[in-house]
Order: sequence, then structure tokens, then C-alpha cells
Amino acid sequence: MEQDPQNTRLIKRAYWLIKLRWIAIAGVCLATFFAHNIMGVSVEDVPLYCVAAALVLENIISLLLLKRIIGASFNNAPIKKIINFQITADLVALTILLHYSGGIENPIIIYFVFHMIIASILLSVRESYLQATLAVFLISLLAVLEYKGIIPHHCLEGFVTCNMPQGIFNVLGHVFILATTLYLVVYMTSSISIQLRNQEEAYRQANIQLQQKDRIKDEYVLQLTHDIKGHLAAIQSCLSVLANGIAGPLSEQQADFVSRTHDRTKKLTKFVKALLRLTEMRLSDKFERDFFSLKDTVSIAIESVKTKTEDKNITLSSSIEPTVDKVFGNQFSIEEAITNLLLNSIKYTPTNGTVQVQVKDNGETVLVEISDTGIGIPANEIDKVFDEFFRASNARRVERDGTGLGLSIAKQTIQRHGGHIWVESQEGKWTKISFTLPKYPLRQAEKNPDSANQIINLD
Amino acid sequence: MENAKILIVDDDPDLTKALKATLESKNYIVITASNSSEGMDKISTDKPDLLILDVMMATAEDGFEMARELKNDPQFKKMPILMLTAIKGRTGIDFKSSAGDRDWLPVDSFLDKPVEPQVLLAEIKRLLSPKT
Repeated sequence: MEQDPQNTRLIKRAYWLIKLRWIAIAGVCLATFFAHNIMGVSVEDVPLYCVAAALVLENIISLLLLKRIIGASFNNAPIKKIINFQITADLVALTILLHYSGGIENPIIIYFVFHMIIASILLSVRESYLQATLAVFLISLLAVLEYKGIIPHHCLEGFVTCNMPQGIFNVLGHVFILATTLYLVVYMTSSISIQLRNQEEAYRQANIQLQQKDRIKDEYVLQLTHDIKGHLAAIQSCLSVLANGIAGPLSEQQADFVSRTHDRTKKLTKFVKALLRLTEMRLSDKFERDFFSLKDTVSIAIESVKTKTEDKNITLSSSIEPTVDKVFGNQFSIEEAITNLLLNSIKYTPTNGTVQVQVKDNGETVLVEISDTGIGIPANEIDKVFDEFFRASNARRVERDGTGLGLSIAKQTIQRHGGHIWVESQEGKWTKISFTLPKYPLRQAEKNPDSANQIINLD
Repeated sequence: MENAKILIVDDDPDLTKALKATLESKNYIVITASNSSEGMDKISTDKPDLLILDVMMATAEDGFEMARELKNDPQFKKMPILMLTAIKGRTGIDFKSSAGDRDWLPVDSFLDKPVEPQVLLAEIKRLLSPKT
């Protein structure tokens, strides 16, 4: 089951709340010390320090509770419970603090507003109003008990004039203003936060829909290319019979046209196969991985392109750092990617040039670099080389009929392995394609499905 | 092994015809079947030396099941099977990595469709040459 983004956010907020409380605790201690020891305000410092201690305890309990929940549940309810607990405890603590620091006349009473804002952002509307009601109840209780003299009224001599009791209307007025403030804050904040939450959900849904549409497109392309490939296979096989003279000799002109048709059919087949491979990779959920020797894989890839380098008298050299050996992944698709990158380099490197493969140990990853002394990529086109069907303008001049899919397939493969691929180049001089591969299995969340099979030559 | 008898089992008549012409040009004797049951019948009656089998005919499993059946039959166990793979995506089977695993996928060789005559002929020659 996937982690709900709201869930992650709530957990983050719960920790944020704890962090804020540490600051508040420091604030309470400092303010008490300052008021009592420096300003000489008649403040009862011991109970206030006790409140601070209680808040420390609250934070520790919250941390322990959160630790127990994380990873154990994908449900929002337990996290909300913890947040509710924190806010409730805060309200009680704030009320006690208020009692020992001058009662409802202490301007610190405004701090109740913060809790209402936090509740409205994190909790449901109903829970927020319940918290507001609790706050109003606590304040009223404090005010009434102090007014009736059931509990003492601690004056803040030297800070606020101590004139309690001032009459019931004054007390009620205080409480009423505060109550309306708290409810209004909850109302306003909740409505904004609901709107934001809905918007976020709408974006999330739109994103899911886009992904689904992309999948439908891939399935469509797969079906289409598969059907085309069936016909192409038959056409190409029949043309091969003609082109190879199996069905009897052809006149020079006939042979020429058959050979052209045959060549173009082969190119089309290559293109369809590449498209099929890319689409399959995107759609497939299967991806068999194991530890395999990257050193051997690079050697196999180099061996497989040897005839091509000899045709153009290209020097192909490789250097593999001795510490590089096993990596985790699908050997076949990595071999395919390296082979295709090499073929690409060879294709766009003029005769007598050089192609170089370097494999370096980067600790957790392996870095593979394939550089050539080829035609390069124009600076303004370099960002697009991994795009499907894109072909650089100078590449078109070298070969008119490339598929424009080779680098897309390589990128898809590397990304599925959790690696990165990038390209550097100077037009007319050189190109260097580099990619990284993690050596060890990635965590579940980073894994991508793939299936790996046939090699498609994209030259 | 000239004049060897080769059976092609494939449901694409055009492709079959092209393969037949290619093989006959090298003096192989070619018989054809368009589905697996017809193929099994011809194997019993004609006893071919080699089988060229399309992976997917009526269903994705058709070609595989036929190959498995043959490799479990003591009479035909030794007959080389060359499988033509149209597409692996649909079958979900990774041909390449499993090619060596005879128990799991009982064929002797794979070639990707469409196959060029030179490649096909070379592979058939290899499969028919006596094992050393």
C-alpha cells in the first residue's frame, strides 16, 4: 500500500508541533525567570516551572507514541489522536499557566489562538470546534473559579494591574470576546485549509488520471506495433527470398528495386522493434535482477561491436577499475544499453576515430563513461537527445533513417536501475555519455519494473 | 546434413511460404503445418529432423506447450527445436536469459522474427550438425 501524502504530512506536522513546544517550554522558563528574578514581578515561579516540566513530559510521551505508530500503520486516525492529545494537553497547560500568571488578565491568553490555528490546519472541522469549545470551557472555568474565590487569583504585580474581581460583566465580557475570537479563528482557518486540502486532492487525482492515460497510450502503441511487426516480418521474409535470388534470378533493375525495398523494410522493422522494446519496458511489471559482473558485461558488449569498429578503423579501448565487479540489476538490459551506446558512438564517429569505455568505482555506485571523437551534438540540441524520436540535426546528415529511440531506451533502462544518465559534448569534436548504476539493491520505493530481453541494434 | 527434413509450424502462411522457399533452396525437405495439432500429426507421420516453431499461434502458450510436450516424449526428445519469437512482451517470458535452461523452456534455439535467410540457414546447419 502506498503512503498517503496526507499521512506523511500529518506525521511531519506532529513532529513540527513537538519542535514548537520545545521552543514554548524554553520561552516559559525564560519569561518566568526574567519576570521573577529581573523585573521583580510577583510571579509564582515554582508552579510555572512545573508547567514547563509537564510540557516536557508531554513532548516525550508524544515522541514515544509517534515512534510506535510510524511504519506500523498507514492510517491517519492514530496520528490525529496524538495531535488531539497534544493540543488538549497544551490547552490545559496554558490554562494552568494562565492561572499562576495573573489569570485571564494576562495578555498571554491570546496564545490560545495559536492552538486553534494548528487544530484547524491539522484536524477535522469537528475536532477543531471541539478543541475550541474545550478552550472556552477551560477559560470560563478559570475565570469563574477565580471570580468566586474558589481558587486564588494570582496577581502579576508589576506587570498587570491587579484589579480582580472587577465585576461579573467584566469577566463575562473577557470570556465572551475570547470565545468568539477562538471560534472565528477556527471557522476561518478551517475553511481555508479545507479548500487547500481539496485542491491538493484534485491535483493528485489529475496526476493519477494522467498516469492512467499514459498507460493506455502505451498499451495502444504496444498493440499497434505488435500487429505491424507481424506483417512486417512476413513482408521482410518474402522480400529476402526475392533479394537472395532464391525464387530465381532477377534482372539488374528488378534486383535494385527489390534490394531498396528490402533495405527500407529492414529499417522499418528495426524501428518497430525499438518502439516495441521501449513500450514493453514502460508497461512491464517484471524485472528480474541479480548480482552480475559489470566487468564481464562491458567486455561482452565491446566484443559484440568489434566488427563495426574494424569496418571504420575505429580504435576501441576500455579501462575498468579493478575494484569494479558485481552490480545488482538485470544483466541483459545493461548489456543492451552499453551495446547500444557503443553502436551509437561508432555510428557517429568518423573513420580512424576513437571510442573509449571507462568504468569507475564510485563507492555505492559505478560510473560508466563512453566517449568518442565523433561529430558531437549541437549545444542547443543537447537537452533533447534522450527524448523519444529526437535526432540531432547533424546526426540526420550522417544517417537519414535512425530510429531516434536508442538513447531513450538506454535512459529508460538506467533509470529503472536507479541510476542516472547524462551527456556532454562539443559539436564536431567529441561526445561523452555517462551513467551511474547502484551496486546494491535499492529500497522498495525506488524500484522500477522492467523486463529485459532481446537486443535491438539501433545502428 | 543435406536433405534433412524440416517441419515449419507457423500460422502465418506468407512467412511460412518464404521460409519454405529459403530452406528448399538449400535442398532441405520442407513440410509445413499451420497449428500445433496439425504439427503434432505431421511429426508422428513424417518424423522430421528439425522443427521450426512459432511461439505464438492461436494462444500465447501454443508454441511453448508443443515444445514441452515434444521434449517430454522419448521418441522426439532429440529433435532440435528452433523457436521463432515474434514478441516476448505478451508471453512475459524472458527468452534470452532462460535459453540455457532446458528443463524450464525446452527448445534448442531462438531467433527473433523476421529472420534473415543467412542467419536462419546458419542456425539450422548448427543445430543439425552432429553433437561433439
